[in-house]
Amino acid sequence: MSRPSVKTNPEHVGDFLSSLSSKARSQMFSLAENVAYEEGDVVFRQGDPSRYLYVVKAGRVAIEIHLPSKGSRRIQTVGPGDVFSWSALIKPYTETASARATHPTEVWRIKREILISTCRKDCAFGFELYRALACAISARLMATRLQLLDVFAVP
Amino acid sequence: MTTPVNVPRISASVVLPKPALQQVFENLQESGFSIIGPTLREGMVALDEIRTVEDLPRGLRDQQSPGHYHLRPAEDGQWFGYNLGAHSWKQFLHPPRVTLYSVNKNEGHWTLQRPEKVAPRYAFVGVRACDLQAVFIQDRVFLGEEYRDPYYGRRREQIFILAVNCSTASSSCFCTSMKTGPRVSTGYDLVLTELSDAFLLEVGSEAGSEMLRSTGWQSATAFDLGRATQVLQQAERQITREMNTVDLPQLLYRNLEHPRWSKVAARCLSCANCTMVCPTCFCTTVEDSSDLRGTSAERVRVWDSCFVLDFSHVHGGNLRPTVRARYRQWLTHKLGSWIDQFGTSGCVGCGRCITWCPVGIDITEELKAIRATGER
Amino acid sequence: MTTTLPNPEIVARPDPMLPNAAVIRGIQPEAYGISTFSLAFQEPPVAHAYHFQPGQFNMLYVPGFGEVAISLSSDPASPELMGHTVRYAGVVTRAMGRLKPGDIIGVRGPYGSFWPLHLAVGKDVLIVSGGIGLAPLRPLILSIIRDRSTYGRVMLLYGARTPADLLYTGEFEAWERAGIEVHVTVDRADENWSGQVGVVPMLFYRIRVDHTKTVVMTCGPEIMMRFAIYEALARRVPKDAIFISMERNMKCAVGFCGHCQFGPTFICRQGPVLKYSAIEPFFGKEDF
Repeated sequence: MSRPSVKTNPEHVGDFLSSLSSKARSQMFSLAENVAYEEGDVVFRQGDPSRYLYVVKAGRVAIEIHLPSKGSRRIQTVGPGDVFSWSALIKPYTETASARATHPTEVWRIKREILISTCRKDCAFGFELYRALACAISARLMATRLQLLDVFAVP
Repeated sequence: MTTPVNVPRISASVVLPKPALQQVFENLQESGFSIIGPTLREGMVALDEIRTVEDLPRGLRDQQSPGHYHLRPAEDGQWFGYNLGAHSWKQFLHPPRVTLYSVNKNEGHWTLQRPEKVAPRYAFVGVRACDLQAVFIQDRVFLGEEYRDPYYGRRREQIFILAVNCSTASSSCFCTSMKTGPRVSTGYDLVLTELSDAFLLEVGSEAGSEMLRSTGWQSATAFDLGRATQVLQQAERQITREMNTVDLPQLLYRNLEHPRWSKVAARCLSCANCTMVCPTCFCTTVEDSSDLRGTSAERVRVWDSCFVLDFSHVHGGNLRPTVRARYRQWLTHKLGSWIDQFGTSGCVGCGRCITWCPVGIDITEELKAIRATGER
Repeated sequence: MTTTLPNPEIVARPDPMLPNAAVIRGIQPEAYGISTFSLAFQEPPVAHAYHFQPGQFNMLYVPGFGEVAISLSSDPASPELMGHTVRYAGVVTRAMGRLKPGDIIGVRGPYGSFWPLHLAVGKDVLIVSGGIGLAPLRPLILSIIRDRSTYGRVMLLYGARTPADLLYTGEFEAWERAGIEVHVTVDRADENWSGQVGVVPMLFYRIRVDHTKTVVMTCGPEIMMRFAIYEALARRVPKDAIFISMERNMKCAVGFCGHCQFGPTFICRQGPVLKYSAIEPFFGKEDF
């Protein structure tokens, strides 16, 4: 059920892309490479060095955390327009969770070094990028808080 | 020679010697009314079924203050020289316990039975202006356009009201602020003002007129009317408590987080006395019971109070778990949201909640405190 | 101050507290601890006179245990069979859980206000729901499907705690085929779940909202509704285009017992469906 719609324009949905100005968006696309994954492909694993900032173009990626003796727990899924792996910009630049494509998926990914040097040279772009990131991380944090509150739990 | 007139016309003012009130009682009883009126019970002027004027608590005066009620004899022997006790007329129109229906199961077959009780015909004797307004307020609650409460409705449509204009005021009274008294102005069959040597009665309806038959009534003179006005003015002068009702309900809606709520919550015992004695509080709950075999069950509607913890129980807990939340609900409803719901304040200024609060919380003080430092 | 959604005619009763006998025609398990009871009035004249609007509720009575307010979750076009999706949570619902098809339950209703579909003509309808909150929205969805071309895009955002707690999952495909965009998520996945994971408000990020022509209708835990409203407002949906369904303790359902009051609003009469702009000053006030 609930297959990701192929018709969704990633620029209009999601927690990241639509927060960028169109100029910053085009700049991002010019810096990014397109990568495709098959259903079940691992994008990166928890603990890997975080090399890229990712934005989903189409499909769906599951964020999973591995618990010893309990296996991998899917804690969030992201879709078109959503950003993930901002660990690429935050020390110690290590993935805090694994990412796996649950459907045929396409992403934009930008190398960490390229992104940071562009931000340094072009402050206006840097401001746009970090502002959009703040929006996305804020939304993700609020969602996590709601998950923690377990609002559906039977008392 | 003029035709003898046995009963006065509607809106006439007449005077009676005080003992003639007994004839009014007898006329009421002959017409099938049970008389409910003030009578002395356990040191308080209670409301109960009475038979003769001897049951009235004549010659008593009450002293009231936050958390205190005390009766003492009055030198002038006035029949109605006291104010209000804990009872209000709501227990007779909106009874504390009403059996709604019972269900009997017979071989998987249900039958629903309603109690075959004929609604009593009550004559309320001694209704004060504030309490009469309280009845009208409950009329708006229970006799609306969409739903009517038949238990209230059947009793209400039969009652006879012999109201009494107050000649004194207790320190808890603030009817003048709420514009509900001290004068009874409408909705009565008869209204009585006690003069030093007689009763002045104004006739409000045909039923009221009929009950004056054979009482030896005489038309009131201008002098009598003047004395009656003085009685009311005397009562009004004795009112010391006041409530500023400007900007309600908005003042309360704006101040739901006012620090005063925590202050009053520290004193409030959540005992629900105020809601029991308030003449307009109407909340109820339903209790279910069944016999041991599970073949018959009954539903009984009983008075409830928003101060009871479970009042706001939903799956997962109680939505007003603190006394602060529950006191805030009571006061903002009584003085505030009631206006949006029913078009009038829920408070008539009777002062009972002040007198009968065991810790002496004064609703007028609470509102004053919120108004003084609240958000404008 | 309070919303004035119009009410349909209520079957006139001499005493609003008296129920009618209804037979349990079927009990359909929906999710863990939740079943849908399908009821039919025993007396034909009562059954014929009964009809309801999406969002309304009945008071269900189990002799000896009490009454409970349960939203209707069945198709309003077939009111002779009244569906109620019930979670076994309290004394009365657990007593219902011990009944079987053929047993009798007391029913009175319908009560309350209803989802204002008449305000969504030609507009996009965004339905946001969580857990058992989908139950009072199901009649709305069925009504929309019956008249699909009257509305623009229709999107359902729905989630529950775990996949086992999702309601009506067997109908989602039919709803999609009928032109409803169905987005489903769970707070916690199990090993077999291949769908989305995350809270319901996050589903807003999967859709595009045209604030000039969207009506939002939401029902679920109050905190979920609060965040759903937050997301809708962030996308500039007007406050008077957002409708919520609230729940409070109910003893009478006719505005006499006083239990369901929320500020000046009687949830049983002006609600349970309320316009957000009408109750905004009170919504979210702690312990109110």
